[in-house]
Amino acid sequence: MSQTHTKPDRESTYSTPRWVKVLGIIVIVLALLVVVVLVTGLGGEHGPGRHAPSGDAGGDTPPSSVTEGHTPSGADLGVYTPPIEHGVQQL
Amino acid sequence: MTMTPPLRKFVLAVHLTSSVGWIGAVVAYLALAVATRTSQDAQMVRAAFLALELITRFVLVPLALASLLTGIVQSLGTPWGLFRHYWVLISLLLTIIATLVLLTRLEPISFLAGIAAEADSADLLALEADLLHPVGGLLVLLVIQVLNVYKPRGLTPYGWRKQQERRKQHEQRTVLQP
Repeated sequence: MSQTHTKPDRESTYSTPRWVKVLGIIVIVLALLVVVVLVTGLGGEHGPGRHAPSGDAGGDTPPSSVTEGHTPSGADLGVYTPPIEHGVQQL
Repeated sequence: MTMTPPLRKFVLAVHLTSSVGWIGAVVAYLALAVATRTSQDAQMVRAAFLALELITRFVLVPLALASLLTGIVQSLGTPWGLFRHYWVLISLLLTIIATLVLLTRLEPISFLAGIAAEADSADLLALEADLLHPVGGLLVLLVIQVLNVYKPRGLTPYGWRKQQERRKQHEQRTVLQP
């Protein structure tokens, strides 16, 4: 297996390493997948509200009976919805 | 700005410990998150949610910040630099992203722990911890780990320019000194 071992760091002209290009392509593909999932809603609601009872139409919401009296602070928590509403949304 | 060898080793030891510890803590987090989804024991689910918050707040976040900070110090204090090699730059970016995502998860995790602390048995069994973020985070951390171990060759445009400048300076010096 004869091959010339090139040292990219010592080349006189600059070129982006192949592994960086491959990694870049993988990252772009993954980013596009995430965007598609978010836009189409295939992944369900994003945010903490997703951690929900699985039997509850995709289950992304804590039972409303236990969230009573809990007011989550922060914009990210605003996505919590009662199970009934969530079920309607899924329809 | 180059660190002395003893200081460099100390920072490296802290960096390795925090980085590998971060991965281990994520695995522990995953085990608990799976338990919240699979266990039929309400008390187990409650304990898991409370432990998830403790692990996040007192283990994951400190380890993530320590890993990020010592990584930056280590890069700046050695010839590797922070922006000269692709593996260092990509590791830095991935670590920053993972840390930011982790910080955004703090509040939702605390919120769920608060709910779990007061919920009755039936409601507890209906709660489920998120798996998407910890699994994604673990994959990102493993990529960083591989990059740090293998250190694949490849200079950034900035690193390449710096290398050319150093080479020219070295050549000039050798020409001037017969």
